[in-house]
Amino acid sequence: MTTTEPETYVPDLPPNPVTRTTSTIHVELTPHILDSLSVTKFVRSPSAGATVLFIGTTRDSFNNQPVSSLAYTSYTPLAITTLYSIAETILSKHDLTKIAIVHKLGECPIGEESILIAVSSPHRQAAWRAGEEALEETKKRAEIWKLERFEGGDGIWRANRDGTMGVKVEDGKKEAV
Amino acid sequence: MAPAKGHFTILYFAAAASFTARSTDELPAPVQACSLFAQLEERYPGITLKVLSSCAVTVNLEYIDIDEDDGLTIKEGDEVAIIPPVSSG
Repeated sequence: MTTTEPETYVPDLPPNPVTRTTSTIHVELTPHILDSLSVTKFVRSPSAGATVLFIGTTRDSFNNQPVSSLAYTSYTPLAITTLYSIAETILSKHDLTKIAIVHKLGECPIGEESILIAVSSPHRQAAWRAGEEALEETKKRAEIWKLERFEGGDGIWRANRDGTMGVKVEDGKKEAV
Repeated sequence: MAPAKGHFTILYFAAAASFTARSTDELPAPVQACSLFAQLEERYPGITLKVLSSCAVTVNLEYIDIDEDDGLTIKEGDEVAIIPPVSSG
């Protein structure tokens, strides 16, 4: 059985990080290893008493099935616009000082960082809430897709919205599983 | 890259790219947005049920409602994208 996304599948991805940055917002899609210290440094500020950092790492299983590798692909120009719009909305809604959202593209080894969200605000409650909301909005809306490859075979395009197995990649045809 | 004269570009991602076994096509323009899925079905039999029924569509980075935007025409040089359910994080 062959798959259209075999183990040699190389996702289409930009060779360099794609970013959009202002003095208070930083969003980035990058093929490089994520740097949690640099996003923390971007958001921290003398006017903010709280900085919250979320690090999402890739899991080694889905529904007890061992995942051997993962790769992310994106519609990069649209995804950057969406991330910026999420960041802008949440910055204003929670009166944040700064916000950063960074997502990995391409191969992401199991256990490594795939997403970073950092927010800062004068007080901690707003920072906690804003961090969670930024993550949920990103998972819901950003035009980024995760391909999970299972040990011994097939690749699955995950879909966040239903939390199910998504679409199985096989012989150029898809079967819902 | 701009498509050939008289064509628009369509981009496929994730499950859509797997089904078509390619990441992009150039299709003849103009075409009514509401007939886009029918054209893709002709080219890739089975794609509507397996993939497109759960996908969104953008034209030049703006989401369109494929059922509601009745009068919308996809024009020469446009960039259309098929957006399957997303899975970041």
